[in-house]
Amino acid sequence: MKHLVFLLEEESAKALLENLLPRIFQNITFKCIPFEGKSDLEGNFVKKLKGYNVPNTFFVILRDQDSADCYVIKNNLKEKCVDASKPDTLIRIACQELESWYFGSLVSVEKVLNISNLSHYSIDKRYRIPDSIVNPKQELKKITNQKYRQVSSSREIGNIMDYRNNTSKSFNVFIEGLKRIIE
Amino acid sequence: MKIEQIKIKNYKAFKNATMHDVPQMCVIVGANGSGKSTLFDIFGFLKDSMTQNITVALAKRGGYKEVVSRNTKGPIEFEIKFRESGKSELVTYHLAIGLENNQPIIEREILRYRMGSKGLPYHFLDFSRGKGTAVTNELFYQGDIKELKREEQTLAKTDILAIKGLAQFKQFPAAATFGDLIDKWHVSDFHINQARTTKDDGYAEHLSREGDNLALVTKFMYEQHNDLFNSILDKLKKRVPGIESVDSKLTDEGSVLLRFQDGSFKDPFLARYVSDGTIKMFAYLVLLYDPNKHPLLCIEEPENQLYPTLLTELAEEFKEYSNVGGQVFISTHSPDFLNAVELEDVFWLVKNAGYTEIKRAKDDSLIASLIREGDKMGYLWKQGFFEGVNPR
Ligand SMILES: Nc1ncnc2c1ncn2[C@@H]1O[C@H](COP(=O)(O)OP(=O)(O)O)[C@@H](O)[C@H]1O
Ligand SMILES: [Mg+2]
Repeated sequence: MKHLVFLLEEESAKALLENLLPRIFQNITFKCIPFEGKSDLEGNFVKKLKGYNVPNTFFVILRDQDSADCYVIKNNLKEKCVDASKPDTLIRIACQELESWYFGSLVSVEKVLNISNLSHYSIDKRYRIPDSIVNPKQELKKITNQKYRQVSSSREIGNIMDYRNNTSKSFNVFIEGLKRIIE
Repeated sequence: MKIEQIKIKNYKAFKNATMHDVPQMCVIVGANGSGKSTLFDIFGFLKDSMTQNITVALAKRGGYKEVVSRNTKGPIEFEIKFRESGKSELVTYHLAIGLENNQPIIEREILRYRMGSKGLPYHFLDFSRGKGTAVTNELFYQGDIKELKREEQTLAKTDILAIKGLAQFKQFPAAATFGDLIDKWHVSDFHINQARTTKDDGYAEHLSREGDNLALVTKFMYEQHNDLFNSILDKLKKRVPGIESVDSKLTDEGSVLLRFQDGSFKDPFLARYVSDGTIKMFAYLVLLYDPNKHPLLCIEEPENQLYPTLLTELAEEFKEYSNVGGQVFISTHSPDFLNAVELEDVFWLVKNAGYTEIKRAKDDSLIASLIREGDKMGYLWKQGFFEGVNPR
């Protein structure tokens, strides 16, 4: 059985993944390590790569793009992974933020927050392409009337999200990457 | 004296747990309800048993049936291993308490250690149900086992500890040290608002459990240990900007007021108008600079109300106390506090099927390995490494 370690930018990603992943993958064990934001993640994840002494561990780094250049972010992280002798670490970027993935599945947000008709925003031209929304966290708060809560809503979304029908490209790339490691 | 191991059976949430390799400063983390306060209370229980008897100690805690681990009959057992000093022999004190005809009785009480490094463990005291044998001429650590004299003894009652009830033990170093540790054991569960209260004039040398006699101890320190008092002030000034001095003032009505002088103003502030953090820092300094150190000091969650950066220095202060004074046990939830302590210092409590397990951070190979790579205890605690590798 493979063991995956997720190095995450913050608690909300952990809340999502801890509930979502067991629904998708039954043949893994995993551990989510939340950092306190990007700079904590970037500055300290190498210690985990080096110190995590559990055999058969694969690492996955997930961070938000936050308007930085995807390519630069990835290369920078990749370099550190290679230096830490963990070149096969999967590096994935949520474009722009974790909440972009929720825009990719507004039906689940609608259910979790008990707001009717939220999903009609997915045909709104401002939100149609989740990964292109500039400030998805702010936007999500706006369209949910501030009902969206980063950690608790993420947890609940993880429980019910239809991961096969998410319109966020970066979400699908993330899941595909995991499948490749696991299967 | 230093406690090396604590074994507990059937005491509240501790159905069967052992704490090995207890360090000089022992930091205990664990979720709410995991048993941190209960662990400290073992010493409170022993103290009540020693100063009074086990019936009282149990009654104070709701009676035998409340105290014994749920779904077990007992006996409640404690086994504490300690050394008088770094190189001396390991001494074991063992106590088992059961219930008979609805009366708590001491099923067994043993004090044992080896005579010489190769000898067999020798029971210097071995009692059961009020009867037993005790050595009357302890030849502490040296001498020939054959020279030991043993006597049958009967205690006045079956709920009295032999270690207390037999007068001759007062001269036995091992028993005396242990008795002293239990007697002078102290727990600090500081409550800011208690410390702010005004006290009737009186006398107090030691800070109380909740800190409500802070004004009186301040007066005592100022009058009797002025040097120490000044070093407390120096430390306080460095940590709390603006504070110039602290004093206790006796009012015409005969009560003692604790006052803090801020350098920016002419008149001092009464304790009740001073910030939580300032009072707490001052109180800990008073506790730690006590001229008569406690051989065992337990501190409940020191982090509350303190500015995170102060916690590092406070951790150093506790460490210092444990080096020059007695052993220190600290319960905490604070990542900032944990970041300031060493791998070897940390234990954690976790409930498994209703009962508490004691884990030692150093024995967790993953935690130890991450620390070697430069990680810190507080981050690992926060990131969930103390629960085991797999969250599910
Ligand atoms: N007789 C008993 N048997 C089993 N568990 C008990 C018993 N008495 C109390 N407890 C449990 O012990 C815990 C008390 O823990 P406590 O020491 O106050 O925790 P902490 O200080 O870590 O918050 C509670 O969870 C309580 O349910
Ligand atoms: Mg407690």
